[in-house]
Amino acid sequence: MTKKLLMIDDDPDFVEGIRSILTSADFEVDVAYNPKDGLHALQTKPYDLLLLDIMMGRGAEGIMIARKLRKDVKLRELPVLIITGMREQIAFLFPGEPVHPRFVEIDELVEKPVEPKLLLEKVNGLIQAAEAKKAGK
Amino acid sequence: MTNTLTFGQEVENLLQAEEGEPLRNCIQCGTCSGTCPVAGFMDYTPRQMIAMINQNMKDQVLESNTFWYCASCYHCTVRCPQEINITELMYALKRYSIWNHRHKAGLVGPDFSEAFVKMIVRGGRSFEPVLAPSYIFSVGMRGFLLEIQNATELLLKGRLPVIPARIKRLDNFKRMIGRIIPMGGLE
Repeated sequence: MTKKLLMIDDDPDFVEGIRSILTSADFEVDVAYNPKDGLHALQTKPYDLLLLDIMMGRGAEGIMIARKLRKDVKLRELPVLIITGMREQIAFLFPGEPVHPRFVEIDELVEKPVEPKLLLEKVNGLIQAAEAKKAGK
Repeated sequence: MTNTLTFGQEVENLLQAEEGEPLRNCIQCGTCSGTCPVAGFMDYTPRQMIAMINQNMKDQVLESNTFWYCASCYHCTVRCPQEINITELMYALKRYSIWNHRHKAGLVGPDFSEAFVKMIVRGGRSFEPVLAPSYIFSVGMRGFLLEIQNATELLLKGRLPVIPARIKRLDNFKRMIGRIIPMGGLE
């Protein structure tokens, strides 16, 4: 069965790139270009993975979404891959390694630009981890 | 068929999403431009800016100085008959141009913002002498001397601190920022 992914990102060019990588690897990708549409899509349709940008709208709204997910009983189980270009966008604030966010039960953080191989590796890894977790329960 | 966004839609997304499409309501009455105290210094007036965004003239919009000259007095927002939050639009364009590194070269605004945020994150408080280098060399010789004269007078009257003030429990403050955003620490 094809896995359904949702991508929330406000940069249309980046979205196109990532979408083409994922669709060629047989994933079904839905896109929301702003946090509000993204949250609406999450609440109305089932997804296997969420790809989330951080800097959107009025600031770090991706983090607001992640925090909302953690509070939601149903969406708490959804694996999240945060893809952010934040360090480049606000270069002066974040030296050092990215911190593991731990917003939901299974999440990871990668930085833009993303290598296609690494992206697919992370996506597959997260989906498998989520399935293993579900099966273990 | 790819479904990419127009520049107008990208800007709408930067504004508060629940407002719908505020810029499409603009009737081009020019009240914002007439009200704006700094419109005379802008490449394009706020009214022209909205029209350009609606026409997706991305390059011209990002290369203009309009949103960096906005003094955030909110007069346009108060007087707009269509209730468009024009000041918020200016902030949105600032964010967009900083995130995408697309702002016009030689502007004071971006450097000043960066210096200000860095300063607050490091010490927790504003300290004026640190901000000076971000603009003082771009105001010309006369402006430079005026600034120096001003600063000296303030200093003699004790209105300009010599030693930067620090907040109590600075470590807590830094940890707090670190927790808000899941990226490496602060410098």
